Amino acid sequence: MSKSVLQSAKPVPQAVPQSGKPVLQLENLSKTYTLGKRDVPALSNLNLIVNAGEFVAIMGPSGSGKTTLLNVIGCIDKPTKGKVLLDGIDASALPENQLYKIRRDKMGFVFQTFNLLPYLNARENVELPMEGRGKSKSEQKKRASELLAMVGLSGREEHRPQRLSAGEQQRVAIARALANSPAIILADEPTGNLDSENKQGIIKLLANLNLTQGTTIIMVTHDSQAARNTERMLLLKDGKIVKEMQGLHLNKKNQTCPHCGSRIQINDDKCPACKKPIYASDELFSS
Amino acid sequence: MGIVSRAVRNISRRKMRALLVIIALGFALSIMISIPAGVLANQKAANTVSSNLSNVISQTGASINQTLTQIDCSLAPSFSGFGFTPRNSTSGGGYTLGQYGGGGTSGGSGFTPGQFGGGTVGGYFGGGAFSGGRASPMNETLYSDINSNISGIAAVEPILQASEGNNVTRNLDFNGYSRTITTLDVEYTIEGVPLTSYFVGNYPILPTNITAGSNLQVGVSGDVLLSENNSAYFGAGVGDAVTILGQSFTVVGIYSPSSVSDTQTLYMSLSEAQALTNNTGYITSLTVFAQNSGDVSAVASAISALHPELTVTTAQSRESALSTEESTYTTELANANASDSQTNSTAIEEIVVVVLATSLIVLFVMLYTVKERTKEIGTLKAIGFSNSTVMSQFMLEGVLLSMIAGVVGIAIGSIAAPTIASLLLPSVGAGSRTAGAVVVSGTTRFGGLAVATLTPELVLLGFGVAILLGTLGSLYPAWRAAKIRPAEAMRYE
Repeated sequence: MSKSVLQSAKPVPQAVPQSGKPVLQLENLSKTYTLGKRDVPALSNLNLIVNAGEFVAIMGPSGSGKTTLLNVIGCIDKPTKGKVLLDGIDASALPENQLYKIRRDKMGFVFQTFNLLPYLNARENVELPMEGRGKSKSEQKKRASELLAMVGLSGREEHRPQRLSAGEQQRVAIARALANSPAIILADEPTGNLDSENKQGIIKLLANLNLTQGTTIIMVTHDSQAARNTERMLLLKDGKIVKEMQGLHLNKKNQTCPHCGSRIQINDDKCPACKKPIYASDELFSS
Repeated sequence: MGIVSRAVRNISRRKMRALLVIIALGFALSIMISIPAGVLANQKAANTVSSNLSNVISQTGASINQTLTQIDCSLAPSFSGFGFTPRNSTSGGGYTLGQYGGGGTSGGSGFTPGQFGGGTVGGYFGGGAFSGGRASPMNETLYSDINSNISGIAAVEPILQASEGNNVTRNLDFNGYSRTITTLDVEYTIEGVPLTSYFVGNYPILPTNITAGSNLQVGVSGDVLLSENNSAYFGAGVGDAVTILGQSFTVVGIYSPSSVSDTQTLYMSLSEAQALTNNTGYITSLTVFAQNSGDVSAVASAISALHPELTVTTAQSRESALSTEESTYTTELANANASDSQTNSTAIEEIVVVVLATSLIVLFVMLYTVKERTKEIGTLKAIGFSNSTVMSQFMLEGVLLSMIAGVVGIAIGSIAAPTIASLLLPSVGAGSRTAGAVVVSGTTRFGGLAVATLTPELVLLGFGVAILLGTLGSLYPAWRAAKIRPAEAMRYE
């Protein structure tokens, strides 16, 4: 799969945000849900800066506020307090009739359940976010085909979701998320509904996109294996970021043991040299 | 991929459901267009019926006024059949009831073209072939005798009527009684009337409905007025010469008979008719007009006393029959109007029900669709669809569904409109219901026929209503769809 990205004859032209510049800033972000007469805090005073080109995993136990955080970043939910700056725009101040444009132009969503429209074929699903952006039909079609080629689905453009495997469906969803060259890809448990082989493939694809295209990816996941292949892991607990760790970027060279410094292989749970768990952070992955 | 093709795909995605909805909506819409079609047809029929009834009522009224002062006198009929047998005039059939009610009321006329009178048994055996056929000629002097000896008379009109034709022997079979009778197949009937200014000016002795040429003038001779049937029989038009019983006459005009009893009657002056039929000095009937209607029975008794050999018929009996008829027609007219308005109110109720049903079908189907596709809508909104795009997507689906249903409805309606209308409206078509029966019996007698037909206007209206109801029915579901939160996309299924 990664081959198709690396050997793509025509690289997809993308407005790659300048690496290192903040693409997402969360300032004193709080979100409180009201259940009956009780206020339930989901996020409290959360601060976070994500720079362009980062690959971030958000982890945490159920109820820690992962989904709320993703929804607030994705302009699906509004914060009770605080600011969400996307590419410099304060999304928390925008009215609902403007937010859809932010979602369309700045965000790319990848869902756990893929969420493809069953009555549209792969290409038409990828074309959906491009609708209403002033592109001609043929341009949309061309762009969709290129994106499908990039995620390794050349020749499958006309297949409807029911004729694609789960892994293939998630690839279509990733292509759809990339359609408008968004500033951020938001992935909600993208591997949650996949078998281990397809999991690996999707993580590799995301990592490759991040590496070769410079796409900023924020991924919520339960899956420690998926998480450690990002470069930055955040642990969320009770609506706060309680821990941050560096991950092993799958496709970056020179992966080394954080304890003894000897070389390790992808998917190694323990360092072959010092035998220590590569992440002694059981608390990080326990949920 | 635009919203139109997505809407089409979504409809075709659930084929069975779409089919059921389209059929249900189609039927509702076909009812919606058939009902106005039925109402229009019914109104048209009712209008025809009531205008015909109104005419009949006013004609009957006029007849009542005319006949009130009229007394017919003739000799008792004889059965000797000679060449030109004068007609029975006990009925006075000329311008009265044969027209509306048939022979029963007027007693029927012996030698009318209907051959055996007005078509009822009473006319047939009573006034018709047996007794009425051959009134004996009477002496013209009776005219002046009555005129000068009896007071209270406004006018006495002598008439000679004679028919030309062939004697035919027939076997008649009626209720098991069989008889052989000889009757005359009439070719034409000569009616001689006094062409004096007094009669022509004051009494309706000549036909008034002249279709070609002119009427007979006062004092003319050698002229004849033909009925349309006469004209065809002789093959002669206005200005042509016709030979009647060996003598040549000039056709001055052609009239259209106002009743079935005089379709073969031609008119000429009394003296010429008498000469022509060897009846010089004889007439076949006298029509006496009393000065006022109150004197009629006194005048009639005086005539009977003076000439007991005459059969004297007053208009009293005829008048009461006419009055009965008039009131019957008036009742029929009222019933026809009542059933028409009942049809209209029924139609309005039914249309309200159908409109509600149609909107509710669209509403619930679209609500269900929206609910079923909550996750899809959430996804669309998460990937950047605006509320208005989502809303128009669902509006379009509802409208499209109703448009297809509209076409189906029009197709059903164009085949089944008469059936649907007669099933749902009280007086269109078969008229099995009480209220409809009057109109329908009216239609057969007074010439209105209620058949619901779809006009192009109704077809357009049906299609427009389909689109309108589709829009109304999808408004709320589409609004609901637009309000779905994008976070619904995250929901598990």
